[in-house]
Amino acid sequence: MDSERKDTYAGLDRRIQSVALVLAGAAVVLSLRLWDLQVNHGAEYRGKSDQNRLRIQRLEAPRGTIYGQRDGIADVVLADNRPVHDLMFVPADCDIDPRVVCDRLERILGIDAGRLMEEIAAAEAVRQPHKQILIRRDVPISASARIDEYAYALPGVFTVVRPMRRYAYGRTAGQLIGYLGEINPQELQKRTDRYRMGDLIGRSGIERLYEETLHGTEGKMLVTRYAVGVPQIRTDPYGRPRVENLVDSYGHDLRVEEAILRPISGGDIYVTLDIGVQAKAEELLEGEEGAIAMLNADTGAVLALASSPGYDPSIFVARSGNNERLKVLRDKPNRMLHRAYQERYAPGSIFKIVLAIAALEEGVIDTSTTHYCPGKFRITPNGRPWHCWKRSGHGTIGVVNALAFSCDVFFYNVGLKLGVDKIHEWALRLGLGDVTGLDMPLEITGLIPSRQWKEDLLRPKHPKEPWEYRWYPGDTVNLSIGQGAASVTPLQIAVLMSAIVNGGHRVRPVLNRESAVSRSDAVVTPDTLAIIREGLLKCVEKGPPAPTGTGHAAYIEGTMVIGKTASAQNVSLAHQEQYGDEENIPKGIRDHAWFVAGVLDREPRIALCILVEHGHHGSSAAAPLAKELIDYFYSSRAAASVKLARGPESPAQ
Amino acid sequence: MSTSVMVEQEAGHIRPFNLRNIKRTDLWLAACVVALAVIGILVLYSANRSVSSGTNFYLKQAAFFVGGCGVALFLCCFDHRFLVSLGPVVFTVCCGLLVAVLVVGAEVKGGQRWLHFGPFGFQPSEYTKLAVVLMLAWYFTAIGRKIERLGYFLLAFVIGGIPAILIFKEPDLGTAATLGPITVAMLYVAGCKRWHLLAVVLTGLAAAPIAWTQLEDYQRTRVMTIMDPGADPQGSGYHTIQSMITVGSGGLRGKGYLDGTQTYLSYLPEHHTDFIFSLLAEEFGFVGGVTVLGLFMLVFLRGLQFARNSVDMTGSYLAVGVVTLLAFHVFVNIAITIGMMPVTGLPLPFLSYGGSFYLTTMTSIGILFSINARRGMFDRLDRSRNPSRYRWV
Repeated sequence: MDSERKDTYAGLDRRIQSVALVLAGAAVVLSLRLWDLQVNHGAEYRGKSDQNRLRIQRLEAPRGTIYGQRDGIADVVLADNRPVHDLMFVPADCDIDPRVVCDRLERILGIDAGRLMEEIAAAEAVRQPHKQILIRRDVPISASARIDEYAYALPGVFTVVRPMRRYAYGRTAGQLIGYLGEINPQELQKRTDRYRMGDLIGRSGIERLYEETLHGTEGKMLVTRYAVGVPQIRTDPYGRPRVENLVDSYGHDLRVEEAILRPISGGDIYVTLDIGVQAKAEELLEGEEGAIAMLNADTGAVLALASSPGYDPSIFVARSGNNERLKVLRDKPNRMLHRAYQERYAPGSIFKIVLAIAALEEGVIDTSTTHYCPGKFRITPNGRPWHCWKRSGHGTIGVVNALAFSCDVFFYNVGLKLGVDKIHEWALRLGLGDVTGLDMPLEITGLIPSRQWKEDLLRPKHPKEPWEYRWYPGDTVNLSIGQGAASVTPLQIAVLMSAIVNGGHRVRPVLNRESAVSRSDAVVTPDTLAIIREGLLKCVEKGPPAPTGTGHAAYIEGTMVIGKTASAQNVSLAHQEQYGDEENIPKGIRDHAWFVAGVLDREPRIALCILVEHGHHGSSAAAPLAKELIDYFYSSRAAASVKLARGPESPAQ
Repeated sequence: MSTSVMVEQEAGHIRPFNLRNIKRTDLWLAACVVALAVIGILVLYSANRSVSSGTNFYLKQAAFFVGGCGVALFLCCFDHRFLVSLGPVVFTVCCGLLVAVLVVGAEVKGGQRWLHFGPFGFQPSEYTKLAVVLMLAWYFTAIGRKIERLGYFLLAFVIGGIPAILIFKEPDLGTAATLGPITVAMLYVAGCKRWHLLAVVLTGLAAAPIAWTQLEDYQRTRVMTIMDPGADPQGSGYHTIQSMITVGSGGLRGKGYLDGTQTYLSYLPEHHTDFIFSLLAEEFGFVGGVTVLGLFMLVFLRGLQFARNSVDMTGSYLAVGVVTLLAFHVFVNIAITIGMMPVTGLPLPFLSYGGSFYLTTMTSIGILFSINARRGMFDRLDRSRNPSRYRWV
């Protein structure tokens, strides 16, 4: 037994056993850790793994519909969603050479086969053969039908339907309805609960004001989630997501883990706007810059609120056409501005109505009060003269005729008697120089000057010179005929006219049918109203036998139309006079033409205000439009109700 | 243990190759190996589901196993002393190849690890592990008891250190680190002085800060990550966190075969290679994980048993070296998947997909078989009559 040989030693077994012990120790440590992970914290990690496994796939909700009326027929769609068919191609579903399919598509649809092949190759290169490749956005129904017809020859081609905003009347009422734009990151931060990047949000008008209502509640679908890949949702012809055979772009099966939560379409908005009248109003303003506001005089319901030039909100929906959008946004004159409540103009002679009401109510004048109009007016015998628009003068004139023939000198006198404070008080009481409360965003106030206003404006600039900021009788004279600093919106004038038509109640113009109708107690006594109405009726009357009023162009046989014209100066008279004959005055410095009208004896009673920028004379530029619009309003209603009584001749529009 | 005394050969005259060794294959070890290989193929089948490309990893792995069995049985027929006698040559060639890799190697994923000969590419570092085991076994056999002297003791570290530094330069930290435990374990079993070893280990720990400065940035990040995987869950911590979720979500009994979600849904990258254990633990739970760990322990203990029973010291060194090599891979790989160690590319024997490492594994098993095959030929007590060095006569 030669076990003492040098190449072995006594401790060998023990040392090998030590190695075994070390290994066993390591195994025990690992087992304990496994136990800790899997058994002690198993539930916790299970939860995390479930979180990993599931993702919420969002299903977009269609936007709510905006309804209006048309020629008195209620609930006509102004804005809704149409199904847009996007043509898609999935390489994995194509069992023949995709080149063949591309060529066939090129023949049928005229798409670029080469570009499509490139995209297919790109998707396959990143191993995402199930990616839906967009062949063409928004194919017409006819093309979609042809694709269906040739489905056997086009494996892998199908359509996905998504809702897209549609404005049924195009540019008509475009500014009121507003437009949509993609949400920006700042807005997104404020309302992450209902919005995601890329969502459309109302940017102006009704779309913006009622965003909360119109934007629907998104649906949800819980699907298995992969670390990579994007779910590829297909839709049925109604745009509802299809649940079976869901895959992501890599072709992983997306099992739907839970019943899907269908998206809830946004709430509908009903507006009082009459799209027929609106279209007529916009047609009348075509080629001009101006605004028309028409209210139901009794309720304040907005029947038409036109502004020219306008824009078509549809161009903001299409993905292409960015240049067109920019052009509309930057165009001069401004298309985005609604001239009926977002722009202010000197009221001119229309302000005489306010003066007449104030003077009668304050007892400064009565029907017997007369003033002599020689064609000009001086405060002091040798002071500067203020002219009447009729240089030859109106002679001795009372309040009714002064309104009918718009005598400036009569109202210079009345204004001086009243004083600026009363004029200011009554203008505000009648709704001028303040927001009307229209349920639309960004309404402006306009301005009725007062002593306080002038002092606040000028005193900081001339603190040591009180004569600079003092209110002078001359200022009152200017204000008396609605010139100087006075500025109002056409909508405010329509509210003023509503009060005259409805018996002295100041109404709040509302567009939304659900908005509360508010109507003040009568601010004008019936006696005063009767006098004012008489004057305004005479203004529209056509002679002979009666003398012709300034608003005679709006005269409608058999209808009691009251009205008042105005031509609001926007540059100094001297500046205009240098051109001699008024036809030579450049358009940009001509007077703004106003006409405000009311209808007393038809149902519904309406009040409307027309402003044509640089239209020169209210009598010629604005009053004829009023006649046409009033005619259209009542005749279209009558025709529609006759049609309804007979039953529709053709299927609904 | 063995009692039969058979003198087959005289000193210096051993048969390098003997087909009859196959009959002496250890059935325990073979059974464990087959069990692990089958589990590996099953798990890879599950991992294969989430890979959309046409590769059938599990089929290829099965082919590797069959080929590996051939290699193992072939090696089993060799006298292990003959294999060890090849050590210096193999070691020199491997070191040469490692140098070649650094000079002309192909760069893959930021590491320079591959050598290409025509269509074939291979990583010399993979085979260096076994070369070092053979070389050390040869060296310890050659010097015998002189290992107790400090000079000879340190020379062992030079043998392990040269390839380790070359591999570290590639850089391949995981493989380089493998050589350390192999060297230490073989030295220990070779009978070195304990305080020598202790001194070296302590010096190594003291030098750790210096090594830290030598690491690449990404390696340092990985080490830091293990301290706090949540710090960068989408970046460096992603692997660790997802792997822990995968393992943890398996629970006691697992989600069921083919019902794993983490790996199926591609949350865990590399789940068919370095992170295959997570998939196993997810689908088979704690029970499955511990079972596989137990099978590995059986392999290791069987290997160490062979080391004890070996008729010569060469066999003991070799067996300990091979077992350490496999055990290091198993323990470190599992430790990585359960978030105990920084992420390093170390495969799990039998389970991780990959041909090269499968070959290494089966070669190791073949060597163990070979050592065991000679067990019964001589009585252990009669070791002196049996030359432990193969002489080229």
